Amino acid sequence: MEEPVLRLEKWAMGAESTIFKTEQWGYPIVLKWRPQKPYLLKDIDELLKKTRTNRECKMLTHARALGVSTPTVHWTDLENYTIAMDFIEGRQLKQLASTLPESRLREICFEFGQSVARMHRGNVVHGDPTTSNVLIDTRSRLWMVDFGLAEWNATTEMKGVDLHLIRRALETTHWDQQEVMLTATLEGYVNLLGSEAEPALSRMDVIRERGRYH
Amino acid sequence: MRILPLTCLGIEGTAHSFGAGVVSDQGKVLSNVWDMLSPQEGGIHPREASRHHSDKGPDIIAKALTEAGIGPHDITLIAFSRGPGLGPCLRATATMARSLALKLEVPLVGVNHCVAHIEIGCLESGFKDPVTVYVSGGNTQVIAFAGNRFRTFGETLDIAIGNMLDVFGRTMGMRFPAGPAIEQEAMKGHRYYSLPYSVKGMDVSYSGMLTAARRLQTEHIPLPDLCFSIQETAFGMLAEVAERAIAHTKKGEVLLTGGVARNRRLGEILAGVAARHNARFHTVTPPLAGDQGAMIAWTGILQYTAGDRLSVAESYVLPKWRTDEQDITWRNLS
Repeated sequence: MEEPVLRLEKWAMGAESTIFKTEQWGYPIVLKWRPQKPYLLKDIDELLKKTRTNRECKMLTHARALGVSTPTVHWTDLENYTIAMDFIEGRQLKQLASTLPESRLREICFEFGQSVARMHRGNVVHGDPTTSNVLIDTRSRLWMVDFGLAEWNATTEMKGVDLHLIRRALETTHWDQQEVMLTATLEGYVNLLGSEAEPALSRMDVIRERGRYH
Repeated sequence: MRILPLTCLGIEGTAHSFGAGVVSDQGKVLSNVWDMLSPQEGGIHPREASRHHSDKGPDIIAKALTEAGIGPHDITLIAFSRGPGLGPCLRATATMARSLALKLEVPLVGVNHCVAHIEIGCLESGFKDPVTVYVSGGNTQVIAFAGNRFRTFGETLDIAIGNMLDVFGRTMGMRFPAGPAIEQEAMKGHRYYSLPYSVKGMDVSYSGMLTAARRLQTEHIPLPDLCFSIQETAFGMLAEVAERAIAHTKKGEVLLTGGVARNRRLGEILAGVAARHNARFHTVTPPLAGDQGAMIAWTGILQYTAGDRLSVAESYVLPKWRTDEQDITWRNLS
């Protein structure tokens, strides 16, 4: 019997991983691999790779149970720090934002805010909610990816940090559209959570001031 | 009216260091003199630091002129650190800058301290558009240029990395600043003790690490191992957020600057990060890495050349001046 050969195509390089695109049983999937980082202390590098691969694989499924669209995990290889999951045919919100009419951009951000709210309602934080980690597929469906920094048992503080990171990402990456995008995202957040949104929203403002040189 | 050639006196005094530097519009650093308040014990009190600046400032400025081989009337521009920083320090520094500008009848320019760290690094490295990792006693920021501003992609959520090192060092009886002593100890350490590693998106947090390190210290763990563990954890976190910023912005240059940039291990780690992303890497050399006047002078020249002026009447200081609050009129990249 012939060994099955995986044809790997390097798809993207992230900060902590390399993404390969391949096929399994005729379906496109991606392999997210966390390579060794020779410049880090080995103990730290291995601990991070292990905990994050583990956490991401569980969290992708857990977030879906909370009502957030995430790619389905097919298998994981913890020895090689690799997760195989669905390939989402689409683009990052980061790339799309400047190409969309404002009304459509508002809709997407509103939905993004709702997705974050669904996680927060389940006491989960995403940990890296930038527009690089929001995908819009070819059928206009919104997906959240990259759960390596996600956490359970989230406190108000952790949710506040999550919102702070969203605001920061919009300020730095979408400076010319940040107001529209932030307003719509927070509207979506509040729309889903109602008065429950308040503690995390006020914490977001407190956090912003904290690390600053006063 | 523009006076060329420009010889700019830059005055820096945002925190514990006071510096004066003379730079030409060709980007030549003619002199760069500074002095740092280093208390026998404890940390920096803003009032003591501002007194240090008013006491030592005039002599440091005079020395900067002598070393540059010029007299006061050869100065054609005065630049000063307008913020961010400690209020009393900024005011003492601004007072000197204003008096000199009035006395010598030359224009005045107010410079953002963080922006100056980036610009002097670009001058030294020849970089055009880097991701800058700026690490010091008061700042921990990952900055990149986008849409006419230097934007802070990541920063500390609580204390600065240098502050964390100083406070830990103080517990161990080291003098301020403690970074160099910790680096020496860390070279002798080899056993890693796990410390809280806290990265949130492109932000970091060091307060949990500090608490844990102080607790480990009471458990009689050898100091070299503890310093080694602190460095590896703290720098590993920085490497990760820098890497996120590089992956996110796709920029091809990485600049390491600020007082903590003097740490060799940190430079080694970030060089590895840059290499993984095929980016060029530069660590600002020690004389230009910390707080000093040359960076203020050089940035003042860039601003002045782009048409920036600050009248004495409006030259109030900006203690909370954010890196991303200033339009960077002299850069036209995007």
